[in-house]
Amino acid sequence: MKLRFKILSGFIILAATLFVAGAWSMYQLRTIGASVQRILDDNYRSINAARMMIEALEREDSAMLLLFSGQKKEGMDILVSAHAAFQHGYTAARGNITIPGEEEQINRISTAYAAYRENWEHPEIETDHESNFQWYFQKIHPAFQETKFNVEKLMAMNDRAMYETATKLKDSAHRAAMPGIVAIIAALVFTFVFNFFINYYVVNPIMKLTAGIKKHVQTGEALNVHIETQDELFDLTSAIQDLLAKRTKENV
Amino acid sequence: MRLHVILRYSGFVLVLNAGFLFVSSLVSALEGDGALFSLVYSAVICALFGIFPVLFVPATQDLSGREGLIIVVASWLLSCLSGLLPFVLWGGEFTFTKAWFESVSGFTTTGSTILSDIEALPLGLLFWRNVTHWIGGIGIIVFTLAVLPSAGRAGMILCRTEMSSVAVDTFNYRTRKVLKILLFVYLGLTLLEALALLACGMGWFDAVTTAFATIATGGFSPRNLSVAHYGSIWIESVIMVFMVLSGLHFGFLFAAIADKSGDIFRSPIARYYVLALIIGTILVAISVHGKVYETWPESLRRASFQVLSLGTSTGFATADSSVWPGFAQLVMVFFTLQCACAGSTSGGIKADRIVLFWKSVGRYMRKIQHPNAVIPVRMGGDAVGESLVESTLIYISLYLGVVFASTLILAFMGVDAFTAFSGSAAAMGNVGPGFGKVGSMANFSSIPDPGLWVLSVVMLLGRLEIFGLVLFVSIRRWH
Repeated sequence: MKLRFKILSGFIILAATLFVAGAWSMYQLRTIGASVQRILDDNYRSINAARMMIEALEREDSAMLLLFSGQKKEGMDILVSAHAAFQHGYTAARGNITIPGEEEQINRISTAYAAYRENWEHPEIETDHESNFQWYFQKIHPAFQETKFNVEKLMAMNDRAMYETATKLKDSAHRAAMPGIVAIIAALVFTFVFNFFINYYVVNPIMKLTAGIKKHVQTGEALNVHIETQDELFDLTSAIQDLLAKRTKENV
Repeated sequence: MRLHVILRYSGFVLVLNAGFLFVSSLVSALEGDGALFSLVYSAVICALFGIFPVLFVPATQDLSGREGLIIVVASWLLSCLSGLLPFVLWGGEFTFTKAWFESVSGFTTTGSTILSDIEALPLGLLFWRNVTHWIGGIGIIVFTLAVLPSAGRAGMILCRTEMSSVAVDTFNYRTRKVLKILLFVYLGLTLLEALALLACGMGWFDAVTTAFATIATGGFSPRNLSVAHYGSIWIESVIMVFMVLSGLHFGFLFAAIADKSGDIFRSPIARYYVLALIIGTILVAISVHGKVYETWPESLRRASFQVLSLGTSTGFATADSSVWPGFAQLVMVFFTLQCACAGSTSGGIKADRIVLFWKSVGRYMRKIQHPNAVIPVRMGGDAVGESLVESTLIYISLYLGVVFASTLILAFMGVDAFTAFSGSAAAMGNVGPGFGKVGSMANFSSIPDPGLWVLSVVMLLGRLEIFGLVLFVSIRRWH
């Protein structure tokens, strides 16, 4: 094999190792960017909506207690504004379904909230249920708990999905960095190997050849240099040997 | 010592690994898992590093013994390095130390794992994990020389350096034809087992990877519960048959199939090996009956699988033997130390050396009675050379010494005594599971990182039969 090809192959190997590692690292870095965006778009928005719904539900529950204690106006004011806040959160969650099972969970929230709302739309104020906290704990509070539990479940689902995406993000970061590290180590090792081969198969024969020619010039001894490889250096040595042999013949 | 020649032959081994990495990446591509890049990039690196010295350095036929030894050890180390690449690139549970441990465990056919959730790994990586068993099982050099272009006389020097000294003495590994015979038996057994497992209802991926691990007497399973996952007596029976066959001398196996020779039945080693497994199974079954398993069939089924698995240095499991009675565990520790026959893919002290050891003990007893008598040690009617007897006794002493030293180091790191001892014995014998925290249903993730490095060295010492690695380390003084 020719020397030119051998040296070229060495550089091609170095370039290929670095190119593939670089390309993959760039791809992984883009994946990281996409994952961060996904965390923000998909999960964080739903978690925020769930938080809004829980806060609204807590306010509605407080309002119910105000109604029970006879403060009808204050209670109804809070109920109306809390309901609007809940609806806002619910609409946001409904418009951001991104993980399997999320739609079913939102439907469950809708059903539970409708049952809860039924209670405060017809709170039976000024009936014998007024100030009857036992009735509140039997009927109103379980409906509130059921709705809140379903919203919390939606939040947990998104929390879990966010954790999984973050874990993938960690893996992506690892996968973006590792090819680079491997490429650097491989390139370093390869440089040593390449340098060794260049020394052994190129520099050493040239030095041997130089020494042989010098010896020939000084002593007239025939050039006796053995080149292991069938490359340009071998051809050069043969050509010099022919030249020296011809010169010796002419001198004689 | 010619470094360029060493690089050339080590290059062939890297090319072989690159080929198998490409096959694993094909599996990854077919399954559409996420390990494709890890495998392809590793394959590219191995291929480039392997081809370059092959292109640069002209072929040579003459190798000195020292060069041969360095090539063999370097090939094993390079293979383990190339084996860890896809694991490290993938990440997950793999740190550099854990990836190195998994790779060494694969190539040395030990089968110990650090993975707590094997099934979470992409199929391409699982396939590569078991391919490391398959390449290492028959021997990296043997495999390389059998499939890559002829290296002539140099190749045979490398083969004899890599193989177990006992196997070399009992079979003439002098020609390339013998290598092809070995490979033929190896491929044939793998194919037969994979087909038998498919017939038993196993999926193609599990069948192929399990066949790789069985014939190499490795023990990596693609399932968290190992063979217990399948819960099938037919699958267990097939695996047991092939574990026993893989523990026999491949030369005898080939002669039995091709020449219809009965040598295998006349061999005192093979007879001892099979008899020891039967007695071991009975003892363990008696020990677990009534205490762990209610019925005799269940006791025999579990006992036979575990004894055969450890006695052939495979390391599959169908039960958690860490909770078995102490007597059963000690019987299995004996098999962990002994393992199967030389000339097979198994590790351990080997049945041949155990037989030779007991025969030399018998000879010594007779010499005490008749001090002037000349009593040779005989195997199958033939007198065994004194040098072989001596090297066998030295080997067994060194083997136990390494296990003891490794146990001490692990215990110093805070690992409990039985876990440290059984883990060291399992690593040295290339068996896989030990007892305690590294039992048949557990993994090695609880061992501290320095301990994993110690066990990696022990696995390599066991696979290269101690002397190879020791001479490699002390190469400068070896003149």
